[in-house]
Amino acid sequence: MENIEKQLREEAGKLLSEKKVDVLIGYGKGTLPYQAVPTIITEPGEAEQLVWNPFCTVNLAKYVHDVIFQHRESQKRVKPEDRTKKIVGVVARGCTTRSIIIHLQERQYERDEVVIIGVPCSGYVSKKKLWDALEGREPLECAVEGDTVKVKTQEGSRSVALKDVLSDSCFTCRYNNPIIFDVMVGDPAPPMNPEAEYEIVDAFESLPDDERWAYFTKEMSKCIRCYACRNTCPSCYCKICFVEQSGPKWVGVTIDESDTQVFQIMRIFHQAGRCVDCGSCVEVCPMGVDLRRFLKKLDKDGYNLFGHRAGESLDSPPPLSERSMNDKEDFIFEP
Amino acid sequence: MTEQNTNEGWEPKIVAFVCNWCTYAGADLAGISRIQYPPTVRIIRLPCSGRVNPFYIVKALQEGADGVLVSGCHPGECHYITGNLSARRKFAMLKSFLSYIGFEADRTIFTWVSASEGEKFANVIKGVTEKVRALGPAEKMVKTIGEPAQA
Repeated sequence: MENIEKQLREEAGKLLSEKKVDVLIGYGKGTLPYQAVPTIITEPGEAEQLVWNPFCTVNLAKYVHDVIFQHRESQKRVKPEDRTKKIVGVVARGCTTRSIIIHLQERQYERDEVVIIGVPCSGYVSKKKLWDALEGREPLECAVEGDTVKVKTQEGSRSVALKDVLSDSCFTCRYNNPIIFDVMVGDPAPPMNPEAEYEIVDAFESLPDDERWAYFTKEMSKCIRCYACRNTCPSCYCKICFVEQSGPKWVGVTIDESDTQVFQIMRIFHQAGRCVDCGSCVEVCPMGVDLRRFLKKLDKDGYNLFGHRAGESLDSPPPLSERSMNDKEDFIFEP
Repeated sequence: MTEQNTNEGWEPKIVAFVCNWCTYAGADLAGISRIQYPPTVRIIRLPCSGRVNPFYIVKALQEGADGVLVSGCHPGECHYITGNLSARRKFAMLKSFLSYIGFEADRTIFTWVSASEGEKFANVIKGVTEKVRALGPAEKMVKTIGEPAQA
């Protein structure tokens, strides 16, 4: 892990000093011991700020999109002949590269606008699971050593097995190594357990209608519509999201539970064939809504109906932007 | 439950999103051929079944529709060549997803009716009405609190 971090800093410094990238997005040490934060650097000397460890959580593809689009916005006031492109470097694990592939497929930016430093990933620590494992005691210092997380709390040191606190998305991750990259640091990580990918969906599908609806409403009643899930999601990049549109007003503003349910159904459905299961939305949700159970269903359907996995390669376009005469239509009603 | 009382004399409200070129013409044919079908359906005409945003369906359910029907041209007969094929993919995923979260599958129904199938259109409406009637009035996700007046 230290080795990868060292190589990562070297590569990042090299890219910046050779002016191959204008800006580099990576993870830096956060103010909380169990959380690395997205860090944006522009000078080779700042490469020392970068870290790579299992506390690097959120999907950085979101920031790539943001940086490129803010730059484009700033270029609007510049004479057309003087406009510049901004080349963005990004530290990317498997899910981040999948999100970048989705951006590229959806023509958000060009491949030459992004330089990908691929890093192998063996999963990240879910902060909710860590807090649960510590039974509510605040972690003051955290360090990962092999398979354990050494945590210092006010009451002394404790060790938690890494596998007990990894995010749910990571256990069944199919693509934990970068799919596309310009520079790769470290050796590819060993595979996780993708065979169990849809277990969570299969278990839920076997419940009766009313129990599923009861679970859905229970989960969604926790939602306070802070839109953190949308803000962190790399696939949610619309300039004006449907929740903020007022004509037509898609999502109501009352305290009626149905408004929250409609918001969640539509945000989740917009991820059809586009969710890479990076787990960022689950990780940032302050209320602990079980979003993954529902997002994973779309992933499963996308694969079963159209043989497509989001962002698995640049050549397989998102299923809902494709069409075929031979699609299954057993759901069509014939009187 | 007061459901038994309120269900008396209850007729399902079905919102139908139909395409301009096939199903709407089919409905027209049903009309001019004087074929009887239940007056439970509210038809909304759209250029193409591909124009149906999944949001329309979710929104209709929120606003109290007991059932939502989407109908377009048969695959391969779309006025816009592939609109209904794109639509079919969207609907396959939406229907599956709504069932997954616990909606009754029969509340959202998709079908194809061509311009010459007046008889079929009437049968579709009859069929959908029966299915929705069997489910009873919609209760899931129906909005009960009104939106504040716009300033």
